[in-house]
Amino acid sequence: MSEFLVLGWNVAIPEVDTGDDIFVVEDEKGTLRRVQVKTSEATIREDGFSAQFQVPLAQLQTIGNILVHYVFIVRYNKAWYAPVIIRQDYLLDYFENKNMGSKYNDHINLYFSYSKNKVICSKLDLTMYIADYTDFPKIEH
Amino acid sequence: MTAIKINVYKQLDGYNFSLSPSIRDIIKKLFPGSHPANNIFVGYDTKSDFESFNGRLEQYIYPALLDVEKERLKEQVETIEFINSETGKIEKVHLDKEK
Repeated sequence: MSEFLVLGWNVAIPEVDTGDDIFVVEDEKGTLRRVQVKTSEATIREDGFSAQFQVPLAQLQTIGNILVHYVFIVRYNKAWYAPVIIRQDYLLDYFENKNMGSKYNDHINLYFSYSKNKVICSKLDLTMYIADYTDFPKIEH
Repeated sequence: MTAIKINVYKQLDGYNFSLSPSIRDIIKKLFPGSHPANNIFVGYDTKSDFESFNGRLEQYIYPALLDVEKERLKEQVETIEFINSETGKIEKVHLDKEK
């Protein structure tokens, strides 16, 4: 949340848990973004660390006019590592067409490997999505 | 190319028609200069009013969403598939039968 505030966006948390963790709003124009935050503890590996996340399949497949931005954050070495931010349509595309993740019951399991400033999931390079705030451009107040 | 898939999601206030990133990339390659959109949202009242005078909305949605004129689309695509993302139901538009 603090990252979005630093970028000049406003942040709201729903009173009732309906699936979206955060609503991020550009106050002046009313631009709304939906954000789903996924956190995980790092598992130390030989050349880096890994983390596992779960995303509800039904949520991922429901493409409305306001897309969800998934923010994957890992707790590593007592600090939060830079988040991997992927928009819903891209994440769904990777799952459906590029074999990213594995389906288990109603969820998709995603296994992220972090090494040498890169992040890989199911052999797909997601490094470009590290701290990718493209859809949250800085707003000057 | 046989078919282009367009996802349709029925929201509380209207329909959202969307393209996956893969399809957008394919369209850009097949039709250089096109800029396919992520999605088009149409409210129920707008859809209803529009269809009263112009017929089914879908025949106007796909050229706008793909940013390619119908005649040009016909050269490379046979069918547009509108897929309801909740029910999985598919509605097909065969381009060779389109006016």
